[in-house]
Amino acid sequence: MTHTHTDHDYEQVIGEKLNDAQLRTNLRSAMDTLIHKRKDLLKERYPEWEQLRTMGQNAKLKVLSKLDSFVQQFEENATKNGFVVHYASTARDANEIIYNLAKERGVERILKGKSMASEEIGLNQYMKEKGIVAKETDLGELIIQLIDEHPVHIVVPAIHKNRHQVGKIFQEKLGAPLESEPEKLNGIARKHMRGEFEGFKMGISGVNFAIANEGAIWLVENEGNGRMTTTACDIHVAICGIEKMVESFEDASILNNLLCPSAVGVQITCYQNIITGPRQEGELDGPKEAHIILLDHNRSNILADEKYYRALSCIRCGTCLNHCPVYDKIGGHAYLATYPGPIGVVITPQLFGLDNYAHIANLCSLCGRCGEVCPVKIPLPELIRDLRAEKTHEGRGVVRGYKDTKHSKLEELGMKAFAKIASNGTLWRAVMALSGTFAPLGKLFGHYTPVLQKWLRYREMPKVQGNLHAKIKNLPGVIYE
Amino acid sequence: MKVYFFATCLGGAVFSQTALNCIKLLQREGVEVVFKKDQTCCGQPSYNSGYYDQTRQIVLHNVRLFKEDYPVIVPSGSCVGMMAHDYLELFEGHKEYDEVKNFSLRVYELAEFLDKKLEVHYTDLGAPIKVTWHSNCHALRVSKVIESAKKIISQLSNVELVPLQREEECCGFGGTFAVKEPEISNAMVQEKIHDIESRQVEYILSADAGCLLNISGAMAKMRSKTKSMHFYDFLAQRVGLGA
Repeated sequence: MTHTHTDHDYEQVIGEKLNDAQLRTNLRSAMDTLIHKRKDLLKERYPEWEQLRTMGQNAKLKVLSKLDSFVQQFEENATKNGFVVHYASTARDANEIIYNLAKERGVERILKGKSMASEEIGLNQYMKEKGIVAKETDLGELIIQLIDEHPVHIVVPAIHKNRHQVGKIFQEKLGAPLESEPEKLNGIARKHMRGEFEGFKMGISGVNFAIANEGAIWLVENEGNGRMTTTACDIHVAICGIEKMVESFEDASILNNLLCPSAVGVQITCYQNIITGPRQEGELDGPKEAHIILLDHNRSNILADEKYYRALSCIRCGTCLNHCPVYDKIGGHAYLATYPGPIGVVITPQLFGLDNYAHIANLCSLCGRCGEVCPVKIPLPELIRDLRAEKTHEGRGVVRGYKDTKHSKLEELGMKAFAKIASNGTLWRAVMALSGTFAPLGKLFGHYTPVLQKWLRYREMPKVQGNLHAKIKNLPGVIYE
Repeated sequence: MKVYFFATCLGGAVFSQTALNCIKLLQREGVEVVFKKDQTCCGQPSYNSGYYDQTRQIVLHNVRLFKEDYPVIVPSGSCVGMMAHDYLELFEGHKEYDEVKNFSLRVYELAEFLDKKLEVHYTDLGAPIKVTWHSNCHALRVSKVIESAKKIISQLSNVELVPLQREEECCGFGGTFAVKEPEISNAMVQEKIHDIESRQVEYILSADAGCLLNISGAMAKMRSKTKSMHFYDFLAQRVGLGA
């Protein structure tokens, strides 16, 4: 499923998205709403948000520092609770485990709760190729599945479509009457979904927190459809990235308190499902079998690096996407990756190879807003900058595929020259004097030099105020040395 | 008191008048300014593009150039973020770390220095005026000096500061980002300008040459009526330093 995305691929999709006026309007309005809801909630209800962030950060870093032993503890306790725990080293392993479970039980249709891990492994496509239908139940996921798109956002997958567009999709794909009121649209989705729920034997979900000392999993959702996939089917399969591990319910509660406000600006979501295993003897409902697939898919590589490991603290709240000035202009699809936005820029090359995603590191102005809002304090901007250093081979040399990553030789020569000049005062003054003298010429030829050309496409040439050194020398009282 | 003044690369290349005003603002408080003629750039262009080894050469040049124990005053929160914060990251685990740290601890943004160290109190000599303000991202989030600039503006009694709706959103400059992703950068600056124009003020102020180069360049292309001004040029005018 991984292939190399070129600069050209990115330029094309970015151009397309930037020119999509409807998309731009929808994204702007949705991100503004999410940003303001979060901000207002934190102001009103979370005076100790910063302390909570530190607690959340520590809860995650504690587990990541000894992840292998926490995973082992989780497996032992989950197994005691009656879960069947599987390990998947690759995306393919995870898909095969699920496929074999389905095949052995004669399952042809799978009911799906929202799960980014399932997107990461390309589950729907894999199942389709094997003749099994994977049916999305999350409202947003349903909408995009109907039009054969991938999630545009990790929390709100169909946020790029407004209610009028959703009404049209339901009309075209479900034969529903044309509506645009949210209640009516929900009604259509509900009616469609209820019909779908009947007769499914196997449900797939993601995991928000895997609690090691209890062997339990915690799932956060807003619609109740997630609960349907975990309780109504005979077989429940949860896909869980190994980084979802936490030590205890207390730690999960701290992270849950950070997750809901960060994600959608609410204190708590409508449904919080804590699952401690399959149906026990004498119980009337719940799945007869419950499986957990612990997915690595290169997470161990991320864990091994002294700095990148912090990216595994991510609780997938999506607030870094909401606050990103690049994401809110181009939307998630322009990243050509499962995970868009700042966290996507950081983890995509590590999961799928930097050689396949060299350009993604450019999609950031290093404004730092993502790091400022991240509820578990992942230093996202620093990690993005480090990815660029992997491309230039001046970093730690730890990201998969960095050696084969295409990199501009012209830029490298330019930067080497820049560093040489900027480390030598005499050279620097000479260059500055030249650029001052030739500023009018630069104006004339600007449109022919590649870098200036890009600057001048949307901006006028700056007015150069002239020789600083001459002015300073003439300024009374200054010690010029 | 003696201080070093670091004009920054854009201060040297484009905003030289601003650099002079900054020096005058320091001298006005009785500070003696030392200008090292061999000063260059803080190194952000190569650092933010991932050329860490190259950038370390520039860092050491600066650290060794400004060797006396004077404060180093910089009229850009972005460069201060680099020199006071990122320099340390670049040299973590390197033998020169202590030498770099000794330098980084002495770096101040001008407004920060005027406000916190010199505790300035200005009398506004200008006519009533409405302005708006763009916060540079690194000044806001890395060097955290925006508060000082705003405190100084609040001392100017004839200046009405109309806040932007998206004050804390990036203008799209981002150093080499503006030329690496020109289309996205343009979408960002257009949004910023839309916000600026809807404030209906005379000037957009910012204390960072990079952001101003971007915003004013794009506004000029659009024939915008709002003018841009570097915060330190504005401040110098208001307190009667002319130019």
